[in-house]
Amino acid sequence: MAKKKTKALDLKLANVDSREMRLGSIISWDGSASELVEISQYEQRSRKHSGSGCGVPCGERGKSCRLAELNMPFSQQTMCAQSIVACQIGNITDCILIEHSPIGCSAYHPRFNFGYKVGLLRRGKKLENIRIFSTNLQENDMVFGAGGKLRQSIRDAYDRFSPKAVFISMSCSTAIIGEDIGSIAVEMEKALGIPVVPLFCEGFRSKHWSTGFDISQHGVVRQIVRKKRKKQDDLLNIVALWGTDYFTEMLAPLGLRVNYMIDMASFDELAQASEAAATATFCHTLGSYMATALEEKFGVPQIDAPQPYGVAATDEWLRAVAKAVGKEDIIEEYIESEHARILPRLKKLREQLKGVRGFVSTGSAFAHSMVEVIRELGVDVEGSLVFHHDPVYDSGYEKQNTLKHLVDNYGDIPNFSVSKTQQYQFYALLKRANPDFIVIRHNGVAPLAAKMGIPSFAMGDEHFPLGYDGIIRMGDALIGILARKKFNNVLKRHVSLPYTDWWLSQEDPFILAKHPEILDEAPTAFDDFKEETYAK
Amino acid sequence: MAKTKAKTLRQIAIYGKGGIGKSTTTQNLTAGLAEHGKNVMVVGCDPKADSTRLILGGLAQRTVLDTLRDEGEDIDLTRIMKKGYLNIRCVESGGPEPGVGCAGRGIITAIDLLERLGAYTRDLDYVFYDVLGDVVCGGFAMPIREGKAKEIYIVASGEMMALYAANNIAKGIRRYANQGGVRLGGIICNSRNVDRENELLEAFSKELGTQLIHFIPRDNVVQHAEINRKTVIDYKPGSKQAEAYRALAKRIEENKKFVIPEPMTPERLEEILVEYGLFDGIEDYAI
Repeated sequence: MAKKKTKALDLKLANVDSREMRLGSIISWDGSASELVEISQYEQRSRKHSGSGCGVPCGERGKSCRLAELNMPFSQQTMCAQSIVACQIGNITDCILIEHSPIGCSAYHPRFNFGYKVGLLRRGKKLENIRIFSTNLQENDMVFGAGGKLRQSIRDAYDRFSPKAVFISMSCSTAIIGEDIGSIAVEMEKALGIPVVPLFCEGFRSKHWSTGFDISQHGVVRQIVRKKRKKQDDLLNIVALWGTDYFTEMLAPLGLRVNYMIDMASFDELAQASEAAATATFCHTLGSYMATALEEKFGVPQIDAPQPYGVAATDEWLRAVAKAVGKEDIIEEYIESEHARILPRLKKLREQLKGVRGFVSTGSAFAHSMVEVIRELGVDVEGSLVFHHDPVYDSGYEKQNTLKHLVDNYGDIPNFSVSKTQQYQFYALLKRANPDFIVIRHNGVAPLAAKMGIPSFAMGDEHFPLGYDGIIRMGDALIGILARKKFNNVLKRHVSLPYTDWWLSQEDPFILAKHPEILDEAPTAFDDFKEETYAK
Repeated sequence: MAKTKAKTLRQIAIYGKGGIGKSTTTQNLTAGLAEHGKNVMVVGCDPKADSTRLILGGLAQRTVLDTLRDEGEDIDLTRIMKKGYLNIRCVESGGPEPGVGCAGRGIITAIDLLERLGAYTRDLDYVFYDVLGDVVCGGFAMPIREGKAKEIYIVASGEMMALYAANNIAKGIRRYANQGGVRLGGIICNSRNVDRENELLEAFSKELGTQLIHFIPRDNVVQHAEINRKTVIDYKPGSKQAEAYRALAKRIEENKKFVIPEPMTPERLEEILVEYGLFDGIEDYAI
């Protein structure tokens, strides 16, 4: 059983501290995976030890808690907490999200609608459009305040769609003018008789978009999850995104049903989270806040194990789940039979993938698991990229330390980088790692890799490599992906990248963080053009 | 329609610490200009909407933003612009309810609406913007951005915080000087009867690279006029104070010295205060 923590998440406040404050999260770093494990000081940072939840054992918040980041002089692309909230809360099937903002903050909606529909199909739910609305604020609303428009939007949404709850998300502009969405939520909750949940997710508060996951989960736990509860001992909460339901099959031998949260969940499914036997997740960087909040507020234990990807972690995860639901007596037999079942196929895949080199570029904890899966398949991994790094998760549970699990069980990664899908940097990262393929979940980087002759496995379904069968699925998929290598090499010969030769010759992907002054000496694309022209 | 010959419109913003007497000074000064036959518009840029009370004989003005909120943009200019003493045109930008929205952005919206409604006619000689207290945010810098007001006067006194605010405003002017061509026309001293006030303000102005354009003495007649909702020029035209305001109007009318100010460090400001103004040490004052 987990040790008692010294400081709980503050669920009384509607506000959530950003990840850099709570966990010391970073978005730019370069080194080896083992070095990052060491400087992260997971155990010392855990709230169980420090009492502060912020970071180092000093127990005080402040600059000293932070890992040294390699601050780049600019970003080509990133996200914000407000849009993360949209792709979480906006995907609850019978609730409504109202974005209290000018319309530009809703530019992601078409993409999110697509993701929602795919998710509904994967989970076998009724296909429908996403229901996120914008208060569509104009100049006069900024001047006079827009409380009236917000109230009207909530009423209109209620009248037209009869949602079981309404969420309100704050944007930068409404936060600057101090819109009081908290009071309006209380007022409208009384008026309509359904939960109205304010989410304080204005983007400028933090460069850590991932706080948006925590803000979404915080709102759900505070105002949606049932307080009066009837225990459901065969129900396991899984904090997930849009993945296919492979968990049900994997957990069937333990007699467990799965309760997925937050995407594509209904109000009632979220409400019953307090009744579950335990909470687990496919990715601790996504699920730790919610699992910890449910544990602290409702006593629902969380699974203290790495994520169920790769043989070693899946074994540990299944054992931890079995322990939590009192099925320890049957689990070893199940694990053994699963090993026996997949081993012949796994051996063959290992032979086929021998000598192949891979590169993983996904979200934080999930990337740790992906490296485990492809190394399980015998693939070499010399470099990988995660979008951010949490030195510790909210739970602070030691067995959830996924990066350490990777290094301990599958060895170090010499070039382990933290950066948010910066195209201009990706070239040097790939050149350094020199992979035969890359595993990504954010398709925007695929074209650049393709132009370098590297095929991408654009894994839209994050549950695809889950558990024992997932390793085999992954291996089969990689064989297919590698067959594209020849095509990509042809492509490479016929395209050029939109960067100057000077930039492409830089070997260090983080050179601009270390020596931003070189930008002053950098030749421009026009200089290259002149050179070529005069040479002719 | 008879063609009016276009004049060179001087757009002037008056800044200064809250409570220093910007509105009183602006209204008396514009009364002085109007006496000389000048066509003047005063735009109050303060959510409290009390910048034109002395010219209109009371707070009879409907603000631009109240009107915009209640009636929309399709309104007649006469709904928000009233003529007062000597036909001085008066507008109050107004603001949102306290604690709601963004008053700074409101000033931008109000000035844009005035332009769209045709308030800036060709016969105008002067537009004065009477701006709330310190430049608290980008919205209150609006009159000096985007080339609205090219000429700034700062009202100050010999009190430390008034000079501190004036120095900060000079920083704001400097920031926008290169883009919009805004220049500082001078410091107006609205006397508080502190020691060696004239010398201190002279020294302060010189340090900023500008001039003390006029020294307005302190006189109770100003309070009397205010109680009677009038400018001093209207209330006691023959008084010494009325003459002082007329002199200020003349100095501004004839002013040719427009500079990009050189704001000073807080340390330098304190040195000047010690040197010219305060016989007792700076440590006796709450900063």
